[in-house]
Amino acid sequence: MKNPPNFGLSLADQGIETPQQVASLFTTVRQMFDDAALQVSDESALADWRNAWLGRRTGVLTMIGDNWLKKAPASLRGDVGKQFNQLKLYVETKFEEHRQRIEPGAEEAVLTRERVDLSLPGVIHPIGSHHLISQVFQEIEDIFFSIGFSVVDGPEIETPYYNFEALNIPEFHPVRDDMDTFYIDLPKGAARPLLLRTHTSPMQIRTMEKQKPPVRVIVPGKVYRRDNPDATHSFMFHQVEGLAVDTDITFCDFTGTIEYFVKQFFGPSVKTRFRPSYFPFTEPSVEFDVSCIFCGGSGNAAGGGTCSKCKGAGWIELFGAGMVDPAVYGFVNYDAKKVSGFAFGMGIDRLAMLRYGIDDIQVFFQNDVRFLRQFP
Amino acid sequence: MKVVYNWLKDFVDVTAAPQELASRLALSGTNIGSVENGPHGVVMDAEVGSNRPDCLGHYGIAREVGAIHKLVLKPVSPKPAESKNKVSDAVKVEIQAPELCGRFTARVIRNVKIQPSPKWLKDRLEASGVASISNVVDISNYVMLELGHALHTFDYDKVRDHKIVVRAAKLKEKMRTLDGVEREFDPGICMISDGDASRAIGIGGIMGGAETEISFSTKNVLIECAWFDPVAIRRATRFLKLHTEASTRFGRGADPEMAELASRRCAELILQLAGGELLAGVVDVYPGKRAPKKIQVTRKELLRVMGADVPDKQIEASLSALGFAPVRVDHNRGAEGSLLAAWECAQPPWRAEVEREIDLIEEIARIYGLDKFPPRLPAARQGAARLPHHEAETRLRERLIGLGYCEIVTIPHVAEDRDALFRPANVSPARLANPLSEEASVLKSTGIVTMAAALEWNLNHGQRNARLFEIGRHYRLQGDKSVETPVLTIGGTGEAREKGLYDSPREFSFADLKGTLDALGELAAGRDARGLEWSNGGPEWLHAARRGKVQLGKGELGVAGQLARRVADRLKLRQDVFLAELELDPLCAAMQATKAAWRYQRLPRFPAVERDFSLLLAEGITFGEIKESISSLNIPEVVSIKAVDLFRGKNVPAGNYSLLVRVTFQSREVTLTDAQINHFAGKIISVLEHRHNAQRRAS
Ligand SMILES: [Zn+2]
Repeated sequence: MKNPPNFGLSLADQGIETPQQVASLFTTVRQMFDDAALQVSDESALADWRNAWLGRRTGVLTMIGDNWLKKAPASLRGDVGKQFNQLKLYVETKFEEHRQRIEPGAEEAVLTRERVDLSLPGVIHPIGSHHLISQVFQEIEDIFFSIGFSVVDGPEIETPYYNFEALNIPEFHPVRDDMDTFYIDLPKGAARPLLLRTHTSPMQIRTMEKQKPPVRVIVPGKVYRRDNPDATHSFMFHQVEGLAVDTDITFCDFTGTIEYFVKQFFGPSVKTRFRPSYFPFTEPSVEFDVSCIFCGGSGNAAGGGTCSKCKGAGWIELFGAGMVDPAVYGFVNYDAKKVSGFAFGMGIDRLAMLRYGIDDIQVFFQNDVRFLRQFP
Repeated sequence: MKVVYNWLKDFVDVTAAPQELASRLALSGTNIGSVENGPHGVVMDAEVGSNRPDCLGHYGIAREVGAIHKLVLKPVSPKPAESKNKVSDAVKVEIQAPELCGRFTARVIRNVKIQPSPKWLKDRLEASGVASISNVVDISNYVMLELGHALHTFDYDKVRDHKIVVRAAKLKEKMRTLDGVEREFDPGICMISDGDASRAIGIGGIMGGAETEISFSTKNVLIECAWFDPVAIRRATRFLKLHTEASTRFGRGADPEMAELASRRCAELILQLAGGELLAGVVDVYPGKRAPKKIQVTRKELLRVMGADVPDKQIEASLSALGFAPVRVDHNRGAEGSLLAAWECAQPPWRAEVEREIDLIEEIARIYGLDKFPPRLPAARQGAARLPHHEAETRLRERLIGLGYCEIVTIPHVAEDRDALFRPANVSPARLANPLSEEASVLKSTGIVTMAAALEWNLNHGQRNARLFEIGRHYRLQGDKSVETPVLTIGGTGEAREKGLYDSPREFSFADLKGTLDALGELAAGRDARGLEWSNGGPEWLHAARRGKVQLGKGELGVAGQLARRVADRLKLRQDVFLAELELDPLCAAMQATKAAWRYQRLPRFPAVERDFSLLLAEGITFGEIKESISSLNIPEVVSIKAVDLFRGKNVPAGNYSLLVRVTFQSREVTLTDAQINHFAGKIISVLEHRHNAQRRAS
């Protein structure tokens, strides 16, 4: 058994002469350090331990540096230096570990100084927004696209033929009274009058003129009716027309398609119903209702009384639709005995108003950035 | 139409509660807007479709109720006591215009006592929203509300020669109607005249004249109950801008057979409430009598259209209750549920609009219940396609939004003077022939008009920072043809960067607008990566020093710049506003072509070296020219040429400006040496000195 290391004597004085002896000596020192570390359990012991090993004048490391390293013979200096550096790193690392274990407040202090204030905003890159009407258009387009409907568009300035006649609405037909129409001021001698389409339905005709069945299209677009503007009327608004014609389309396919759309758009719990109605270019024609999304179809307002959105009915009228009237096929050279189909036309502004609780259609077209940014 | 619940009970023994009845009616085609319990019992507001004139009376609604609830409809068969004197001796009727008036019946009651109506009659009229006047007038309204057929009563003694002549109006003929208004007519309008036909005493099917009106001194009454051509009536109401209860009913197509019955019912009530002597018989001129139409409906067609079956019994019960008298006519008669089943039906005169098999299928389906046809999704037959530019437009939209622009949607109707401000010369706008107001009398001939208006709205509402874009159309005329062109319009004003914790504020400038457009141009850069090209010029409404024309390849794409101060003042825009409009189709087409041409370029393996050239240039020499000159050296190692700093003023001689140009060199084959870079730099300096007289500044 050799003597314990003496930090006050040079290596030569302790009889250390070979690199092997140096290595063994440092292993012993490290062992001493580890043994001492086991005794450290509180802050004052930590301070003592730190003093003993890392103290500037009498700490073990300082003494090793002064007495062992500096006085080492040239032949051993390299080995002693290497061992000393490893020991130093080891001691400092271990000491830091113990310090963090025993003094939790120490790390906290640093973090407190450097911690970000999460309530402050980050660097803001102003990002714009999609208009709500665009968003609803896109959503509807995606729903119908997913079940095989293509998207087409067409002119907003139309001829009476496409807007009315070919849709089985001859002049003086009563429904023309419900579609007050803007006409374009044309030069004298113009070949035919032009008007602003009152619905997207002219695209039914234009599509069927161009294409033989099967047809599955939707037509998003602007439409115009000469109504005085108020909270629920705008003389320009948006529709999505739908048309499916094939050799085997039935009323059941029609209601199935509409129900699919509504459940996708308003959610699976919404109930639907079809009421017989009348449009010149569909037969049978229906009005399509959904259970009121505000009162869940009960007709009662949350705070008592009747629901103001459905006026207590529990149902909200969404749009008109139906099976394409055979008379329409006559205008596009389809054989009404061989093909059948359905068509619908839904008001987008109204759908968006219903779903987002907007009570004034005019806000869509004022384009106040405070409105635009509400629906990023 | 207001439907009085108890009135229905005169014709069907309905037991369903009003709410339930309303719901059943709605689901079979007569939508009920509201059900109200008023002082005269329950009143339902029926929204009768324009194809169902038969439901504009309680009897017609009762027929619907009978069909839905399988109740017997009680017949209406009034048998008023008649005197020995014949009506044919008392009044003559002549129809000179059978194309306008298909039937005219007349009855005469002498010695009536005009007085207020009894309470029950007043109550029913009041519940229906009709004011009570006197017994005879009230009765004609009552019969109209009951049977759906409009009648008119004349003071018999005021009808000259006791003769009625039904004729077309003369050109510019005038008459004062019951409402006291003097009206002018045209020859498409049916007039009721008297005596030698020179004097009009009523507009056929629309309104009576003032001169032969029933008054409290009337003693003898002439009842007119006629049938007028619906198209002529609708034309007349539009011409006269006069809509009445009568014109609504005749205009939608009344039942010609009902004319005589309604007249008899009217006479019965007058005798009951006003007394008097009903002359025997009826004067009935009926040139428009139609043979009842036969229509067939087959199960095969029902299945083809509806996709699910309806039992025979249901089909027959519904059609019978509605008056179609179905009879099985196929060879499989007797076989219930046969796929070959066919029924022949007779069109009842009150359902003129039911003419085709599909019309009968609709009748069967709506009474059976639309909810009994099980919903299913049709099989897809082909792939679906988006709009041709959908993908490009979506990328454009997303990029603009990423750059901070909010999308707007505008109404294209604008004021003429606004449109004129921005309208290019020689463009003819699409003006409206019947605008609602001057402010909305033209369709915008450029998207700038509504973009400027949207910025104006925001500035006027305290929102001074706005960056907006619209994907829309502008509308123009070429001769008598309309041209709608998709355009992208961009507008920016206020701060491009707001003051924040980390940044100082910065106003939106021309460079912001240009940067935005170039960021879009990058998407459409094509194989040569040129992007948008800018040239001087642009419309007068843009600031002369800060505007430009934008080109893509060889085509003009649009214009961009700052709104001219003069125009901004006119619009009361008190801050700088920047606007651009680009044609969308060529831009999207180029974006798609560009994307199709995208190919991966291997990343360079050798380092790039930057060299800065600090140049002193005479004003007027552009960066573009400098860049062009450097490019013209055709040094393949030059991979980018950028302007990185620009200043005027201090230490820069007047008439000059200083431009710092950074050129990046990179080779795909080797690491460039200092000697090579110096060689390139020397060539660059020499070309810039030679061509542009550029002086180098110490950097
Ligand atoms: Zn509700």
